[in-house]
Formats: sequence, structure tokens, C-alpha cells
Amino acid sequence: MSGSPARRFALATLRYAALVTVATLLLLPIYWLVTASFRPSADIFATSSDFGWATLIPERLTLAHWREAWSGELPRAVANSLFVALATVALGVVVNSLAGFAFAVFDFPFKRVLFAIVLATFMMPFESIVIPLYVLVRGMGLTDTFAALILPEVASGLVIFLFRQFFAAVPKELYEAARVDGASWLQIWWKLTLPLSGPTIATASLMLFVHQWDAFFWPLVAAPGPERVVVQVAVARNVTLEVANWGGLFASASTAILVALVPFLLLQRFYLRTVTAASER
Amino acid sequence: MKHGFREPWSIVAWFLAPALLGLALFRLAPIAIALVGGFTGTRLTGETVWVGLRNYRRLVEDPSFWNAVEVTLLYNLIVNPLQIVISFALALLVLRPTPLVPFFRAAYMAPMTVSLSLTSILWAILLEPTMGPVNGLLRSLGLPPQPFWRSEDQALATLIGVASWKGVGYWMVFLLAGLLLVPKELHEAAMIDGAGAAACFRWVTLPLMRRPLAFVLVADTAANFLLFAPVYLITQGGPNGATALLMFEAYQAAFTYLDKGRALAISSVILLVIGVLALLELRFLRERGG
Repeated sequence: MSGSPARRFALATLRYAALVTVATLLLLPIYWLVTASFRPSADIFATSSDFGWATLIPERLTLAHWREAWSGELPRAVANSLFVALATVALGVVVNSLAGFAFAVFDFPFKRVLFAIVLATFMMPFESIVIPLYVLVRGMGLTDTFAALILPEVASGLVIFLFRQFFAAVPKELYEAARVDGASWLQIWWKLTLPLSGPTIATASLMLFVHQWDAFFWPLVAAPGPERVVVQVAVARNVTLEVANWGGLFASASTAILVALVPFLLLQRFYLRTVTAASER
Repeated sequence: MKHGFREPWSIVAWFLAPALLGLALFRLAPIAIALVGGFTGTRLTGETVWVGLRNYRRLVEDPSFWNAVEVTLLYNLIVNPLQIVISFALALLVLRPTPLVPFFRAAYMAPMTVSLSLTSILWAILLEPTMGPVNGLLRSLGLPPQPFWRSEDQALATLIGVASWKGVGYWMVFLLAGLLLVPKELHEAAMIDGAGAAACFRWVTLPLMRRPLAFVLVADTAANFLLFAPVYLITQGGPNGATALLMFEAYQAAFTYLDKGRALAISSVILLVIGVLALLELRFLRERGG
């Protein structure tokens, strides 16, 4: 690279200073929220309005908020959300990889048009159709069911695209050899290509899981009853109550963040790799 | 691959049908419902009747609708370019894999784990005017506390800042992926030809980044255009309509005023605007590329 050693050192220092500043801006709010959930109610805002070390490092710790949050509707909401998210991941990986496989491997009439429609659906924000989709789902008699929460999110244009990009990079000779050996296309998809596509499955799972775990608007509309309450709606309910329940809010919000953190930490290293590989072609 | 395998529909359909049926039923059918339903109304008796252009005529005459359109356009005109510039800067910042950079890459993606509704709640508390820690910090620095969400002048800017806190790390991934694919040899060749870092960026990196930038611009606009959770949870469109984004208008029409025709008419307007925006953005980026 260019420049004298002194200049290079100054640039590197500047770069790391910027890296740390941005990381602080992005992580500190999350850290504050999670630590606040372990503080006695009196400490939360007493320390925050008077900013200092006590704002960042709790002096007294308590599990009261967590106990309170977990004795309400939160366990049910977490279980509902986990079920919805995992069912969507399982169905979504199968359904979208099948379609991605077809777009990558087969030639068929209207292929370009159909693929353009698939791409258009992921450029179209889900929120834009929430209200007409609600009209449709209510017409089908599915409000307040798991089906209403799961089925609309299974087929995903972006996930189909990711799988297509991966399967298209598999050498054609591999498919030909398997065909000569007498394998059916479904066997090739299931036994040959899916086992190869670990990072794409990981990325797709992370996308589908986070999307469902984060879902707020659609469940708010499609499943307003207490039976099918999901985690984001349950957390938000602490705010929309007449008197805000701060302790319960902090503990339930921390729960929602920490659960999403698990698949994120497990799968994030595949994420950049898959997006890079997908944009290569 | 250029040429795929030619198989009869009976085989291809097995692969395509589940996903395409899902998209047709849960993505395309609702569009049709919105477009048709925008011309209908509901009688007090509950039956749906054709009302022609009445919903649209009422929208056009309604100042709160025009306010929502104005706020939505203003918000998008600022938030999308802003997020792209910041996420591009972040991608450049974490591009060279020097020590600790993998940690920073992951850290910048971390707000992905905080849903938009949680982001809203978190920043409603952080920016609470009297008790919140941000004003606590401002006071300890000797600066005047700010009203943030409570002020007609600051609410939209606050919304833009909070949406960007959540969004920039996500979009950074797509731009970083593009940057990682820029061949190193091109930079080296340009350097040998005497190009400085700035010239390198302008004439080598930027042209090669056109596709990822186009993707992020369109996808980011689509994500931001319909911001709902923060408006619903924090501002309810206020103060005085300052954050009344279109999606919240549609929600209110459907679930507060129970006016299905109006809600579907607003949904149709939203779908139309998104379609036009996507086309414009793609054309703009194609032309700039030459």
C-alpha cells in the first residue's frame, strides 16, 4: 500500500477508532436494555437520567422482572413463535430449494417470466399486502390459526433466488452422471444437491427464522386472540397498556433478543459467504 | 448454466408447484384483492357493494391522506440515500480483513437480531425526554435535552435515525459481498498506473458496484416505504401528523375505522407507488452506468 509508515499507522488508528465508534453505537443500546432487565425498577431510570458509570454497570441485580415476565403470557408467546418459526424454516427450506432447483437445472416454457415474478415478489414488501392478505385469510376462515401465521411466509422469492444461484453453480456433469446411474430428479435434489448446499440452507434458515421470530404486523392482524399470541406482540403489549410495565417490558424484550441471537451467532458466518456467492453470478 | 435439462412439465411441476402456488396465493392474489377491493364498500348490513371510484375520490379530497403521502415521500427521499451511504461506508470500513474485523462485521449485523418492533420500543425508552439515557448523556455533556419523538420538528428525523440504526448493518452485508468480488488485480493495475485511492474508488470500485447498489436501493426502498411498527408503537402518526406514514393510514382505515374499501384503496396506491419506484430506480441506475 501507499504512504510512509507514520501515515499508514495514523490511517489504521483512524480506521479502528471509526470501527469502535460504530460498534458502540450499535451494541450499547442492546447491552443497556439487557442489563436494565436485571436491575431493580428504582435503579433503571434513576441511573439513566443521570448519565455515568452507573448507567452502564448495574450496582444491584435482581431476577424479579424475569420472574414476573415469565409468569405471564410470555412462555406461551415464545413457544408459539418458536413453533411458527421452526415450522416455516422446515417447510421453507424444502419448498424453496425445490423451486430453486427447477430454475437452476431445468429448461421449461415461461421460465424467464416465472423467475421474474419470483424476483418481483421479493422486491415487494410483505407489509404492502398485509391488509388484502388479511381479507383473504379471513375469507378462508384461518384467522387465529397457526396456518395463518406459517403458510404465507413459506414461499420466499429471496430464498428461491439463493438456492437457484447455488444449484446453478453445480457442474452439469454431476447431474448427468447421476441421471446415467438411474437416479430420479427428486433423488438427485434430495440426496445429491441438498447435502452439498449446507451454507445456503443455513442462510435460508436464518432468514426465515429471523423473519418469523421478528414478525409483528402480520400476527397483530391475523392472530389477535390470546391463544396464538407471538413473542413480538406479547412484548409490545407491555407498552400499549395504559400504565407501562417497565420491568416486564425489559425482561420480555431481552428474551426476544437473546433467542434471536442464538441462530444468529450459529449461522451468521455462513451469511456473508452465501450472499457473496449469490451475487457473483 | 446456459442450457438446462429439458424435462416434461409433469416432472418440473413437482418442483415448482409448492413454491409458485404459495407465491400466487399469498403474494399475487392479495394484489388482485387490493386492486378490486379498492372499488368496493361495505354496507351497514355487512354486504360488499361496488362503489366505483368513491374510495379514491374520498382519498383525493382528504387532507390527512395527502399529508401521509407527503410524509412518506419525504421520509423515503431522506432515509434511503442516507442508509445506502452509511452502509456503503461501513462495508468499506470492514472490507480489509485485518485483526478483529470479523468481530466488527458480526457486531454491525447484530441489530438484525432486534426486530423492528423491539427497535421501536428500545429507542422509545432510550430517547424518552425526561428519564431516557440519551438525554441523560446530553445533560452530562452540558448540552440541552431534546424532545425527539415528542416534537413535530424532530419526530420524523428521529424515525429516520432509528430505522437506520436497525437497517445499515443489514444492507452492509450485500454491499460488502459486492466489494469482496471486486478483483484485487484491478486495484493493483490502477495503482501502478498512478491512480490514487480516490480515483481507484471512483473509476474501479464504483462502476463494479452498480448491481449491488441497485439491488440495495430497490430492496431498501421496499423495506422502508412501509415502515409500520415504530409509527404504531411510538408516535401513532403524531405529533400532529408528522410521522403519519401511508402504511399506518391503511392500518387505521382497516382496523380503527373498519373501512375496508378505503384500506384496500390505500393498499392499491402503495402497491402502485412501489412498482413505479422500483422501475424508476432500476432505470436510473442503468442509465448512470451507461
